[in-house]
Amino acid sequence: MTATRIQKKICMLGIFGVGKTSMVRRFVFEKFDDSYLSTIGVKVNQKILPPQENSEHKMIQHNLLIWDIEGFDDKTKPLNNYFIGSAGALVVADLTRMESITSLPTIFETFQAVAPEAKLVLVGNKMDLVDKEAPTLVELTQFAAEGDIAFLPTSAKTGENVEAAFQKLGLLLAD
Amino acid sequence: MDATFFKKLLDQNSFGYAFLNQDLRIRTHNRHLARFSMRDRNLEMALLTDLFPETVGLDQIFEEIFEQKRFSFELTHMNRESDEGQTIYFNFFLYGTGNKDIPYFFLVEDKTREAELAQELSQRSNEIRLLEGLLSARSGNVSARIWGQSLPIENLRAQIEKMGRIPTATILLQGESGTGKSMAARVLHESSHSSDAPFIEINCAAIPETLLESELFGYNKGAFTNAVTDKKGLLEEADGGTLFLDEIGEMSLPLQAKLLSFLETRKFRSLGSTSEKEVKIRLIAATNQDLGAMVKERRFREDLFYRLNVVRIQLPPLRDLGDDILIIAQNFILTLAAEFKKPVNSLDKPAANKLLNHNWPGNIRELRNAIERALIFCEGQKIGADDLHLGSLQRDEPSSSPLDRFKLPKDGLAFAAIEKKLLEDALKMSNGNQSRAAQLLQLSRDTFRYRLEKHDLI
Repeated sequence: MTATRIQKKICMLGIFGVGKTSMVRRFVFEKFDDSYLSTIGVKVNQKILPPQENSEHKMIQHNLLIWDIEGFDDKTKPLNNYFIGSAGALVVADLTRMESITSLPTIFETFQAVAPEAKLVLVGNKMDLVDKEAPTLVELTQFAAEGDIAFLPTSAKTGENVEAAFQKLGLLLAD
Repeated sequence: MDATFFKKLLDQNSFGYAFLNQDLRIRTHNRHLARFSMRDRNLEMALLTDLFPETVGLDQIFEEIFEQKRFSFELTHMNRESDEGQTIYFNFFLYGTGNKDIPYFFLVEDKTREAELAQELSQRSNEIRLLEGLLSARSGNVSARIWGQSLPIENLRAQIEKMGRIPTATILLQGESGTGKSMAARVLHESSHSSDAPFIEINCAAIPETLLESELFGYNKGAFTNAVTDKKGLLEEADGGTLFLDEIGEMSLPLQAKLLSFLETRKFRSLGSTSEKEVKIRLIAATNQDLGAMVKERRFREDLFYRLNVVRIQLPPLRDLGDDILIIAQNFILTLAAEFKKPVNSLDKPAANKLLNHNWPGNIRELRNAIERALIFCEGQKIGADDLHLGSLQRDEPSSSPLDRFKLPKDGLAFAAIEKKLLEDALKMSNGNQSRAAQLLQLSRDTFRYRLEKHDLI
């Protein structure tokens, strides 16, 4: 069965330094660089996902336009115009920084005010730096469970669950 | 002023621009546009969304501009990598022209210089905050990994935080099997050392005595039959970090003497070596045995015992932690549910009571195993009492209930004083909650109150 190819815009969201750009680099180019370079504005990358079967048993292949958006900050947040037309978002928190988790309600609220129908996947990045019982992981798991949001711990460094997180979002977009 | 004037103005200031038809195909453009676009030639009649994928998803905006409900739209600081690998930044603007044939005017402005300055500024402040986050994840917050709010846990947390500030002090961790001695050692290490400092762990009971010596101190080539190359010992591997010796009570007396010598001088010799090596490590030893009693029985060196016993941290058994059992269980549920990808998020009331009424001979390890097993079988969002198989787990663990350990002293004791002490302890552990305290002593609330009155405790 041939898959229908659909182009969708998704946003990478989170405060600065959580690893949004690293997640995209790992997913699109299969590369990782330990050095940190803060993002200004937006960088758009493309990646075609493998065909996926949706809940109606139709084969869908997504061409994802991934908007790697500058991080939310204490004083500033990205322009709402960046979110227009988004079909989904990968919201990234940093498992080494609790502030990246406490800021999540603002991030969700800001994004959903512009794109209320967008599908969401939450990831806890840098899992290679914390253990399985880290308070941030517990907090994030609880946050995801309470909000009924798909959640995965990831590591852009080792690549663990990065592809799975984008695939998960692709699956939500297919329905 | 005519259109030529504006074209010249835009060209001279390196703006890129294009007029688009209703299908968003480029009708005319200037030469600068190619510098920002995904392709540098054949732009004529190309789709705007192919040249500028940033415009994908803006259908609603284009429609509003076409219908003249909106005059303009802008997006700032778009990044694009040039062929030379440099990042260029640009803002783009969409305007309605009011002309049905070419309804859109697309304008691109180079913002590289401005963005580079902004990048430099945010880079510096963000780097510092990221480093702080990383350090706090490894130090300040480490004791938060010791779950619970009871008095014994608060005391343990305070002791660990205090000892985290002295990275070379030797520490003895004492506690029953399964109370988390290995985790406490790791928390102590992480709260006092940098992320790349080594943490070396060895279980003295798991390695034959002859091997343990060579593992700890290392050996030189030819030191014994199979020593074909030099091998670093764990003391050396742990240099700059922590060496954790679990079940130190199982170490042989001759090896205890060698360890003591190292602790006194911080120097040691590898097997077969004539020269001494010096290392800087924190030694953490752990045991579930009564080392003091072992000293009396001459099974543990007294001098080593006093050397290790300078700082002793006692890990409380789970049965003494009261409602913390539920806090610890809830944390295990959340972390294990994420690992197993199961939607389980809590315990129901009967399951919680079952956990509170269990004696936990295997301590936290037993609780973790019980939750793990319950999660595997649980079908809903809450773990029920039937999902918890505590009986069979209890049989697998050696019994260590307080009654088993209690022996009446030869000269007897005052029963009333014991009763009063039990009542006081139960009240303390339940933070004054009489129902819970009665539960702990397996008494009805009325009987419990009667006994409180008897001892003038209310």
